[in-house]
Amino acid sequence: MARESVREKSRGEKMKGFSELFYDLDKMTKTGERIARMVNYFEQAPEKDASWASWFLAGNRIKGVVKTGELREWASQRSGWPVWLIDECYERVGDLAETLSLLIGGNKKAESISLSKVVEEILLPLAHADRSEKAEALRRAWHRLRPIDLLPFHKLLTGGFRIGVSRGNLCKALAEVGQVDPAIIAQRISGDWDPGIRKFEQIVGDERPEDSWCRPFPFCLASPLQEEPNSLGDLKDWWAEWKWDGIRCQFLNEENGGMLWTRGDESVGESFPELLNLSPHLPTGLAIDGEILAWGQEGMRPFSRLQKRLGRKEPGPSVLKKEPVRFMAYDLLKMEGVDMRTLPFLDRRKRLESMLAELPGGFPLQLSMPVESTDWEKLARQREESRDRGVEGLMLKRADSIYSSGRVKGDWYKWKVDPYVADMVVVGAQFGHGKRANIYSDYTLAVLDQQGEFVTVAKAYSGLSDAELKEVDRYVRKNITGKFGPVRSVRPGIVFEIAFEGARSSGRHKSGVALRFPRIQRWRQDKKPDEVDTLENLLGYAQMGERVREDGTKTDDAGNLLLF
Amino acid sequence: MDEPMIVRPEGLYCPAGGFFIDPRGRVDKALVTHAHSDHARPGHGNYLVSESCLPLLKLRLGQEIRAEGIAYGKVCKIGDAHVSFHPAGHILGSSQIRVEVGGRVWVVSGDYKPQPDQSCEAFELVKCDVFVSECTFGLPVYRWQEEEIIHQQINAWWQENVEAGRPSMLFAYSLGKAQRVLRGLDSSIGPIFAHGAVHPFLPVYEKCGVQFPRVQKPKEGSGEWAGSMIVAPPAVEDAGWTRRFKGASRGFASGWMAVRGARRRRNLDRGFVLSDHADWSGLLEVIKGTGAECIKLIHGNGEPLARYLQECGVDASMLDGSGERTGEE
Repeated sequence: MARESVREKSRGEKMKGFSELFYDLDKMTKTGERIARMVNYFEQAPEKDASWASWFLAGNRIKGVVKTGELREWASQRSGWPVWLIDECYERVGDLAETLSLLIGGNKKAESISLSKVVEEILLPLAHADRSEKAEALRRAWHRLRPIDLLPFHKLLTGGFRIGVSRGNLCKALAEVGQVDPAIIAQRISGDWDPGIRKFEQIVGDERPEDSWCRPFPFCLASPLQEEPNSLGDLKDWWAEWKWDGIRCQFLNEENGGMLWTRGDESVGESFPELLNLSPHLPTGLAIDGEILAWGQEGMRPFSRLQKRLGRKEPGPSVLKKEPVRFMAYDLLKMEGVDMRTLPFLDRRKRLESMLAELPGGFPLQLSMPVESTDWEKLARQREESRDRGVEGLMLKRADSIYSSGRVKGDWYKWKVDPYVADMVVVGAQFGHGKRANIYSDYTLAVLDQQGEFVTVAKAYSGLSDAELKEVDRYVRKNITGKFGPVRSVRPGIVFEIAFEGARSSGRHKSGVALRFPRIQRWRQDKKPDEVDTLENLLGYAQMGERVREDGTKTDDAGNLLLF
Repeated sequence: MDEPMIVRPEGLYCPAGGFFIDPRGRVDKALVTHAHSDHARPGHGNYLVSESCLPLLKLRLGQEIRAEGIAYGKVCKIGDAHVSFHPAGHILGSSQIRVEVGGRVWVVSGDYKPQPDQSCEAFELVKCDVFVSECTFGLPVYRWQEEEIIHQQINAWWQENVEAGRPSMLFAYSLGKAQRVLRGLDSSIGPIFAHGAVHPFLPVYEKCGVQFPRVQKPKEGSGEWAGSMIVAPPAVEDAGWTRRFKGASRGFASGWMAVRGARRRRNLDRGFVLSDHADWSGLLEVIKGTGAECIKLIHGNGEPLARYLQECGVDASMLDGSGERTGEE
């Protein structure tokens, strides 16, 4: 995957192709170096390659090119090793693309081919080929690629293209190439676009009117509040509202309809037609930021209800009726085609309020109301209601803050309620992926049931320091008692304090309970396995959540509906 | 049939000769394949090693131990066992130990590699009935390139660092790998330093004909490290010792570096795939070459290799619960 033609031979020494870029980025540990390397690539690469490279680095992938099962089978045929041995290798390496690359080896005599050729002549045809054609096409592809091309190629093929380049840094690199604002680049490369059609010039070129196409803005993100709230100064300078437990989305409206974009840059409008139906009633050239929530007669419902709507395109009338949703709006980014993001928050908020006020009632679109308080202490007490309200805590937004791209410390804070915690014992472990390949870093965790037996309730793989990880890995290796596929059962001995956001009853789990976002809070070296929490405790947490769901008309001391 | 070697808690034992090979604990007679700490342990009554291993063993375990060196290929009789040492190509003085009792031959390989290595004796293939093989890198993802290519990669990286004005910090195990790495360095690029754990072994290597460029101790340096190459054992990776080499690019020479995750986990700038063990094809080639009817695997996560050999019709199994190995080389 080298450059297709030579544009300017004199510039830089690293005038190489996409594979070389891949390996250089993989090697580099400093952000500045990586950005410079990307700039260098984009300046040298042929236009078509640069477009595709931008698209891939932005995290897009060509879907459904090949199934991993098929890939393992063909790799087995090609390498001569049985499929089970390839699986063993995968378990050790922790990355399928890398495993395949190490096993296939590549053709040392092959010539370099450009990225756009790889995409247009290999990947795209593969996506449309039938099974036997695919096997043959892949065999030919392996023959065409140099050893150095294999890993990037397999990354593109299996879709897991991640080499530690954040979208923000990609935008900085492209912005430098085109001498345009990174925010504009961010908008141009987000969403769904076809790098086969869009020229690189359109990505890095000067600002044009059509830049206001129907794409989401980069989301403004909040930092976790890690200090005492009164260190933020006068509460009057801040806006507080509930931190909703839904799907963060930008609702865009143009003449030809509405769109819903998630933070993952997915367009999810098709799953929520009742929201898109609002389009004719809203002004065009509009972008609002908010949250999709599951919302019934009784008010807000827990996140798990929303999952019944996710990933289900064009839901039928019965689902729409049973699992209604609502858009909770909290910010205004664009109005009548004019970018509002640099206005102070309170100004944007006022405009949002007056815009929504003109809507007729009964629409599944509403304003996220402020949580008003006279001082920080009182606000802190209100925050204690979060669990009962089914929200995650409070959002604090500085009243004069602009809508930044990404996380700008000091503007927006999330002040979440403390998570639930429980002590659990490690009863199983498996190798992690990527940086944690070949190290036992993914743990199966158990608590005690009424008979005093360990029962598995969660899996967790983050939260330990590198040194702790090493030590736990050492323990696991010495205490393996059995093997179940990639999972090793481990003699109970290590106790972790696990934090989680909630629990719910689950028929699918043997323990009868499913935890939300379990992660390791700390290693309880002082605790023995028989001192871990009980299943009864966890089931108690789950029932707590369900009680809230059943009698939705709970009120707080002041008589306000809690769930509204 | 009584086998020449059996497994005891201390390790492989030869009842006919009353000796152990690479034992744990305290035994009277220990035959030791090489001087790495997971094979040569302190506390035994008598040691027998290859001639070139002897000075390395004494450096590791102390000059006062009772130890004897035997020339490669020379057969000696211990009780009713005929014993000889043969080069294993792992590090200087590393041996496979051949044990013959009543016409039945076992070869215990210790750690070995058939690939050429200019810093130690070349591996010798020894025919046998039972071959005890290591299997540290017993998966086909492990494939080594010729050492010259790796030396070139290391020198090119060093050169890059010289041009960028930063030191090069290369981690390599202090016995064996460090010497192999030092031998391949191009001293025209810059000054070379090595951690104190590496130095004592250098004269032993030199006596055996391995030539090194000039290697200094850091305290002999000027304190200006830009452009220098510093070779150090991975044990000091996180220690204060490395702090003085400000802004150093950090590399690691090890077979484990074949997998990117292993490098990224250690937060290294570069990994050089240089191993003193057999790679997958090396293991298969040697196992086949010995003509052994029975293969016993130790030192590694050997289940996949055992299963693969079984599917190829070879009688192969794990020797005992010898545990997984990932760290030492």
